[in-house]
Parts: sequence; structure tokens; C-alpha cells
Amino acid sequence: MRVDFELIKRAQAGDNAAFNEIVLAYRKRILGTITRVIARPEDVEDVAQEVFLRLYFSLDQLRTAEVFEPWLYRLTVNAAYDYLRKQRRRPEYRMSDLSEQQVLMADATAGGKVEHDDQYQKKIRESVDALLGAVSEADRILLMLKEVEGLSLKELEKIYQVNENALKVRLFRARQRVLKAFGASTKGKEPARAG
Amino acid sequence: MNLMRGSQDDQLDALFRAYREACSTPEPSVHFMPQLWRRIESRQSFTFSFRRMANALVTAAVAATVCLGIYTTIRRSDAAFYSQSYVEALAEASTIDTDLVAPARLEISQAPLE
Repeated sequence: MRVDFELIKRAQAGDNAAFNEIVLAYRKRILGTITRVIARPEDVEDVAQEVFLRLYFSLDQLRTAEVFEPWLYRLTVNAAYDYLRKQRRRPEYRMSDLSEQQVLMADATAGGKVEHDDQYQKKIRESVDALLGAVSEADRILLMLKEVEGLSLKELEKIYQVNENALKVRLFRARQRVLKAFGASTKGKEPARAG
Repeated sequence: MNLMRGSQDDQLDALFRAYREACSTPEPSVHFMPQLWRRIESRQSFTFSFRRMANALVTAAVAATVCLGIYTTIRRSDAAFYSQSYVEALAEASTIDTDLVAPARLEISQAPLE
């Protein structure tokens, strides 16, 4: 944990300096998570501020220190989910475009050496965003937290407040849906490469 | 690492790994904290006005309840009205017009027998 419970208690008691310290300790991590989940850099700070705003007004409900981080993550997930729901006008990702990006990715890595230049990273981001654009917001967030953020099942259990089995089922289904979109994109690509 | 080799599961894992590396965490802007505090203060003032309005409404509701209670108590103090039974009250309210409805009288005259 990045802050001790005393600091949280002080913030709960209305100490704004203590709350400031909490924000400073977590904002980079929260910004990182939101960046990966919503994939819109221009709105990341806005969503992160919404997370800390919700934290400020609900901090008095926190009873124990150990649930603070999962709780903050839950606020992050909820804020990201609300944002994604509002932004239903997500761009239409065409599978043919995705395939093209994947061809570029494959070409870029053909020599077994990954070129970490801006162009390559941009393509990777676009590919994953396109892929996750094909599934629901809930699936997108869950997969991001598990596969990209690297959260464990235990951590996810605390965030989603569901048992391990239910979580595994949700993860499996979400992954299957992404795999289906991924499969459709690679199938679309094969004839082009063959021809 | 070749993202396009292996099973689809492996490819997807590789893609997610590459994505993690490709997404750098942005540095918060200098406006982050001032904007956050502005939003907190704005929400606080909204909450404060809402609470004040809610308090005023609750006070008005309590006052109305007290007034109604007092009014009802005064009305109830008219004990004579409430001590009557339903039939008595009904009888008092609708008096029978005795001019129109007179008691029936049967007159039997004895005719001489022939």
C-alpha cells in the first residue's frame, strides 16, 4: 500500500492536506490504468479527477485499511465504465483495418526483433483498441485489468466483489469474445496474404 | 517475439503484453490538482445548497404537521358532536316533516244494519 491508514484517517477527518497526499501517491497509477482502459489520452485526466472526486466524497465510508486499494480500483473501474458508456459513439473498427494493422505488426516483428519505435507502439495500441472495441465496455475493462494491468484473481475478486468461480467464468467469456473478434480479423487477413 | 505465430491464445497474450509495453503512463499535467480541488469545491457547494434546501423542506413539513395536529385537536375538543351515536346524528340531521307525513288514522263508522 502506498499510503498508511493514519493518512487515510486524517483525510476522513477532513484534512485536505492528507487527501492531497493520497492523490499524489496514487494519481500516476490511476492515470495509467485509465489510459489503458479508455484509450483516449485527451480524457484521461478528466476521468482520473472524477475518480478522486468520488474518493473524496465517499472516503468516510471506508472502515479498514486493507480494502483501500481495491476500493480505489473499483472507483476507477466504475468511472471508466461510466465514461465508456457515455462514449457509445466509439469509432467503428473495421476488421479489414485491424488485419492490415496486424500485417504491419507481423512485418515489423518478422526478423524476431521488436522495434519499439513510436510507429510500432501506435500500431499495437490501435490493434488492441480495435479488438477491444468489438466487445462490451465491461469485458474491455475486465480484460484490461487482468491481461494488461496484470491484476491477480484475488485482487479482481475484491474489486468486483464476486467469488473466484464467477470471476473466472466472466473472464473466460470475455476472452472468448475477444478471441472470436481476433479470429475473425486474422481469417480476413489470410486470403489477402495468400493473394 | 512474433505476434502472429502460435495459437490464437498465445497471439492474444503476446498482443496484450506488447500493448502493456506500448502504453506509457502519462505524466499528470500541472493543472491536475488545481482542477481537482475546483471540482471538489464546486460539488461541495452544490451539496451544501441541496442540503440547505432539504433542511428547509423538512422544517416546513414538520411545521405543517404540527399545525394540522393542533387543528385536529381543537376540532376534536367539540365533544358533544362526537359523543352522539351514528343514528342520533342522522336523526338530528334529517328531521321528518310532520306536516306531510301525518299519522294514519282509521275511521270506522258503523252503518245501521238493515
